[in-house]
Amino acid sequence: MSMQDTGLSDLAFKKELAELVPHLRAFARSLCGNAALADDLAQDAMLKAWRARGSYQAGTNMKAWSFTILRNVFYSEKRKSWRQQSLDPDVAEATLISGDDSSAPLELLALRNAMNELPDDQKECLIMVGAGGLSYEEVAQICDCAVGTIKSRVSRARKAVIDILESNHTGFSSDSKLSAADAFDDIMNQAQALSGPSDGQQ
Amino acid sequence: MNDQNKKQNDDLRSQRSRQRRIGDQLRRMYDEVVMEPVPDEFLKLLDDADIAAESSSRKDSQESKG
Repeated sequence: MSMQDTGLSDLAFKKELAELVPHLRAFARSLCGNAALADDLAQDAMLKAWRARGSYQAGTNMKAWSFTILRNVFYSEKRKSWRQQSLDPDVAEATLISGDDSSAPLELLALRNAMNELPDDQKECLIMVGAGGLSYEEVAQICDCAVGTIKSRVSRARKAVIDILESNHTGFSSDSKLSAADAFDDIMNQAQALSGPSDGQQ
Repeated sequence: MNDQNKKQNDDLRSQRSRQRRIGDQLRRMYDEVVMEPVPDEFLKLLDDADIAAESSSRKDSQESKG
């Protein structure tokens, strides 16, 4: 049983953390591209979060709290991997294209590849705000910087992804007839058909 | 509306529609992983950590199962 006075009971904490595992996996996958490495990362983060349960404040956003931990693990692993090469982008990309994601729709592969070209600081902000459902304020806290900085990273990331998809045939040029740009044109045609008034800001 | 205005409007509209599309795809990419069944290993690791925490707090010796 838990002894913390501002925390949850171990049981409640564990339940809430287990429910967040799919989000930890999704965040990890978009950060490091390779599914197997991403699960290692998500497992590490989950266990670190469990061990740090005493510092979690009940009532605050556990997703944001656990993303902070995952992010720290990611950057410290990445620093180590400069020696170990385990997050080598070429390896990650090869796995991405030939491996476990081969059933993913082409446009999502193109997007993943484009995301992999972004600097980490832009990529993580775009994922957390654009897909993870966190607010700019929460992401600012996670990354320990100003809200304005996060907004500018997200907007630069969006623009860069569009530029990459349009200008580059990342990963598809050699062995696929459908380039990322072709896939993108196709997507754009669908988008025209669906277009509505919202601009997608949070 | 002159041609230049029209072109600017078109550019703006297409830029917005591209951004919206990227946003949708990004959520799809993320949600696809969220919807995947979580590998059993995760919950087993969490259970093991929980059991270890409990037994160490009871000062029992712990057995790890393979």
